[in-house]
Amino acid sequence: MQIEAQATEQAAEAAAEGFNAGEVIIEHVANSGLDHPLIHLPTIGGIDFSVTKHVFMLWVVAATVFLVVTLMVRRYLRQDRLVPTGSMNALESIVEFIRDTVVSPAVGPKWTNAWTPLLLTLFVFILAANAIGMLPIFDVLALANHWVFGFGEESFYGMLLHGGSTATSNFNVTAALAVVSFFAIIVAGSKAHGAVGHWKNLVPHGVSPALAVALIPIEILGMLVRPFALTMRLAANMTGGHIAILAILSFVFIFTEMAGQMVGMGIGLAFSVPLAVAISALEIIVILVQAYVFTLLTAVFIGMAIHAHH
Amino acid sequence: MEGFALAYMGAGIGLGLAVIGAGLGIGKLAAGLAEGIARQPSAVAQITGAVNLPLFLLEGVAILAEVFALLIVLLK
Repeated sequence: MQIEAQATEQAAEAAAEGFNAGEVIIEHVANSGLDHPLIHLPTIGGIDFSVTKHVFMLWVVAATVFLVVTLMVRRYLRQDRLVPTGSMNALESIVEFIRDTVVSPAVGPKWTNAWTPLLLTLFVFILAANAIGMLPIFDVLALANHWVFGFGEESFYGMLLHGGSTATSNFNVTAALAVVSFFAIIVAGSKAHGAVGHWKNLVPHGVSPALAVALIPIEILGMLVRPFALTMRLAANMTGGHIAILAILSFVFIFTEMAGQMVGMGIGLAFSVPLAVAISALEIIVILVQAYVFTLLTAVFIGMAIHAHH
Repeated sequence: MEGFALAYMGAGIGLGLAVIGAGLGIGKLAAGLAEGIARQPSAVAQITGAVNLPLFLLEGVAILAEVFALLIVLLK
């Protein structure tokens, strides 16, 4: 009841003050509100486990990747002769690409089979999460809600429509992936050189002890900065692309407010929509590149931990 | 000038400088790549592979600068 009153108040305010581009853009990119989540779960040990939009998208991406890959592989294995066709070809080419050009040169032939599954998982998951963010699924659902269904603001369907749908644009999600990389690097070094050997390899051998002691904080800082850079690189790239597209599309509404409908539509047709299409095409390239870069950098760091003898 | 204006100006100028640095660096990498391929076309894969990693590390530096500039503006 109180939230409905608030929503009406906000709608009246918005109608009075016009189109607020900043708010609309932030609402379309950020997570759904932390105070009214999609599924309300209890707070265990001080951590609120409620499901927000980005958590929901994580589940959707994981389920999609799992179903698609498993069904493809099962159908391939059920054949009499194991000849890959169609989509299985595509999956095999992705696996071979990651294994032969990313993992193998970085990690060496001895450890390729050990580290390919993790790096393939990272690549496919990040690619799927980025790509699902580009599909305007929830805008279509919002239109359907407005013209066909008419579910309320408080229903699950209604709350699903708030917030951006790119899970990896949230730096918490990418931080989780970077933590996985961080521990993978430590595990790789420990498996290759023993638990103590990995930490002894932080400083190069054959330097004077004084210099070695001075190098330790620098090396530890480097160890911590790498996952941070991975986090921010992926999150900022995903957020930036969406903000650019939304800002360009906001021009239509800004001009409509300033000069009337025909000017708004003219600006839209002549400038906004073509430019937004071009930037969306660029976004597709950025999606592929960012998934590749995350995987490549993790592979390189794992390789550096394994081959630390120089 | 009051503190806020200086902060915004600082963030803007810093971001511009970071973008200049990234542009120069990536440009040099691209020039080196093109020249290497021109001298020995058969080594395309190797040269591209060698350029890949520094390219994305540099792009990451530029994006980190953007993030910190945004933090300056948003956190005041």
